[in-house]
Amino acid sequence: MEDKKTTSERTAQGRSSGKFRCMNCMERIAPPAGAKQVKCEKCGFEWRISWLGPTFPRCRGPVWEVNRRLTEEALKERNK
Amino acid sequence: MPLSRKIAYVDLSTGEIDIKPIPLAIRKKYLGGRGLDMYILYNHIKPGIDALGPENVICISAGILVATPSSASGRTHVAAKSPLTNFIGSTNMGGFFAAEMRFAGIDHLVVTGKSEKPVYIWIHDGEIEIRDATKLWGQGAQQTQQLVKDELNDREIQVLTIGQAGENLVRYANVMTLLKNAGGRTGMGAVMGSKNLKCVAARGTMDVKIAHPEQALEYNKKIVKEITSAKVSVTQGKLGTPMIWGATNSWGGVRTRNFRSNQFEYSDAIEPEAIDEHIIGWAGCFGCQVHCRGRYKIPSGPYKGVYGEGPEYTAQGAFCGEPGCDSMEALLTGNHLVNDYGMDVLEVGSMIAWAMELYEEGILTLEDTDGMDLKFGNEKALIEMVHKIAFREGLGDILAEGPLRAAQRVGKDSEKYLIHVKGMSNLHSDERATPGLALNIAVSSRGSDHLRGRPAIDLYGLPESVLREVYSQPVKYDGPLTSHWGDYEGKPWMVRWQETCYAAVDCTGICKYHTIFLGPNFPNFEEWSKLLYLNCDLEMTPKEIWDVGERCYNIERLFNIREGLTRKLDHLADRYYDEPTKGGVPAARERTIDRDKFEKMLDEYYEYHGWDKNGVPTKATLKSLGLDNEPTHTL
Ligand code: SF4
Ligand SMILES: [Zn+2]
Repeated sequence: MEDKKTTSERTAQGRSSGKFRCMNCMERIAPPAGAKQVKCEKCGFEWRISWLGPTFPRCRGPVWEVNRRLTEEALKERNK
Repeated sequence: MPLSRKIAYVDLSTGEIDIKPIPLAIRKKYLGGRGLDMYILYNHIKPGIDALGPENVICISAGILVATPSSASGRTHVAAKSPLTNFIGSTNMGGFFAAEMRFAGIDHLVVTGKSEKPVYIWIHDGEIEIRDATKLWGQGAQQTQQLVKDELNDREIQVLTIGQAGENLVRYANVMTLLKNAGGRTGMGAVMGSKNLKCVAARGTMDVKIAHPEQALEYNKKIVKEITSAKVSVTQGKLGTPMIWGATNSWGGVRTRNFRSNQFEYSDAIEPEAIDEHIIGWAGCFGCQVHCRGRYKIPSGPYKGVYGEGPEYTAQGAFCGEPGCDSMEALLTGNHLVNDYGMDVLEVGSMIAWAMELYEEGILTLEDTDGMDLKFGNEKALIEMVHKIAFREGLGDILAEGPLRAAQRVGKDSEKYLIHVKGMSNLHSDERATPGLALNIAVSSRGSDHLRGRPAIDLYGLPESVLREVYSQPVKYDGPLTSHWGDYEGKPWMVRWQETCYAAVDCTGICKYHTIFLGPNFPNFEEWSKLLYLNCDLEMTPKEIWDVGERCYNIERLFNIREGLTRKLDHLADRYYDEPTKGGVPAARERTIDRDKFEKMLDEYYEYHGWDKNGVPTKATLKSLGLDNEPTHTL
């Protein structure tokens, strides 16, 4: 059997850790350890965080009031 | 011999049993599991038969790699003509049954006819018996499995069974094994019920020969490492598939209150982290290290203390988003009930949410609901309806018929509120903002279905370079690919690629979570080529395995066309095109599917498969796949 890397092995080299993607703008967010929520530096949307391990944050869900307000503002702008 | 497993035909009308070898040429064309089942259905089912009549044929099978040292190689496939859609019926389940059936010497069980009284089939070390199931009839899925083990006096037996829903011919009844492994789509449980077949039990001690055992073990270790180190697997092992809820509900992809919204706001109480507080341990399927199945105890209410497994993302949709309930008790209770009665959680949730919307719109009244206040958010009514569907009581009898037949019975414009494709309800996601995912459910071969071709990684915003690596093998693709889920460009190829990938993995018997479904860097055609060689001595290139997937998808298409499928049915419910989304982040808001752009995607998608404008495989396509002379009746 040849030992060349397969596609899955090659793409796996790009895996990241300690981050998750902003569910609004897809930017990678690296929250401070143990943070309960975080604001995306790029778009300002805020997310609640749960931790699967000390260096493994995950987006639990939106900070509802904040993201709702930001969405309404963005829609107003879009529909001007 | 690595490929010594057999195919068994059981005629329940005559009691005849015939066990035969599977020719190598057929293996190479279809491998096993779903592929070979589809070949059998296309060859053995006469067009236009009643799916609940004795002429229907039901196949229960193991993929070709089941019970080998290949990670997560324990999937059972069940197939027949679907009583829900009248098209292909096909369902794929986890657990240990397929492995046990293989240890007992059988890869494919093909059941025809109808028994006069309830029976079950007992497969043990190359032998098959038809046994009386009178005592099992009327029992739930859990109790049935226990009773069979007691009767045959062996705790190691694996049982594939129906619950009361299958007996009552609920058109979306499941086939179940263990606590929650569900062959849950297209109504295969109803087909078993129509044959008076309560269950199939298997126990085997026969060796499964591995072609190159040491190398196979070594190679599997590498694959296990690849899979278990992925973030998505770690998350899945800690939260199960509810992990999907977090992201999907964050941006606005969760179908809520039967399509009234695409986001279930303030649903913190039923988020995966909240479910996790009730989980007492994690279980897995045969040969899997991910262990994505949470075991729980119902915390309160009439079922307090009862154990269940799951709930999955689909159950969150069925018992939370769709009916608009944020009750943990309702979620865990509903999940337990559908598993014990043996019903498709997705269809149950969709049918009840549809009825709730009809009730709120005044199309159904208190008279129709036997006095039940069926408004969104009424968790008591929700659970009550689950019982009523399983036993076909009152409105439950109508909902048990599935979307199209139920709408025919209700009348009064109720059909326009259905969220379905080809008579099967959509996953509790909302695809109005995601054209690729919308195309997937519209064209899927078993009716609306995310597990047939969903390009789930389209949601991850991956760089185009990564998408190109993934989607340009094992066949070349240099058309467009875009990173945003809201685009239309490039999605037809992604859907078509995923369909072939999922078809191929279903032929191997490996779990879909171990290929490119939720993660972009999981094993696929190249790895399967090695696994087939090391375990089965089959030398097949990645492209040849791709062709197996493609052959499988085309034979499903041929079956469906023979049953009346046309391009018109490869479309979404009108609400997708006409009703803008109201929830989620800005990119998901005010979105509908553009009809013209959808048609363009559909044209492209057909072209990639080698189908004409009507979605019919061309002669050249069939010839290139060796399907031009089907049905050949080789098996
Ligand atoms: S990932 Fe989950 S469903 Fe798949 S084999 Fe493993 S435990 Fe079973
Ligand atoms: Zn952002």
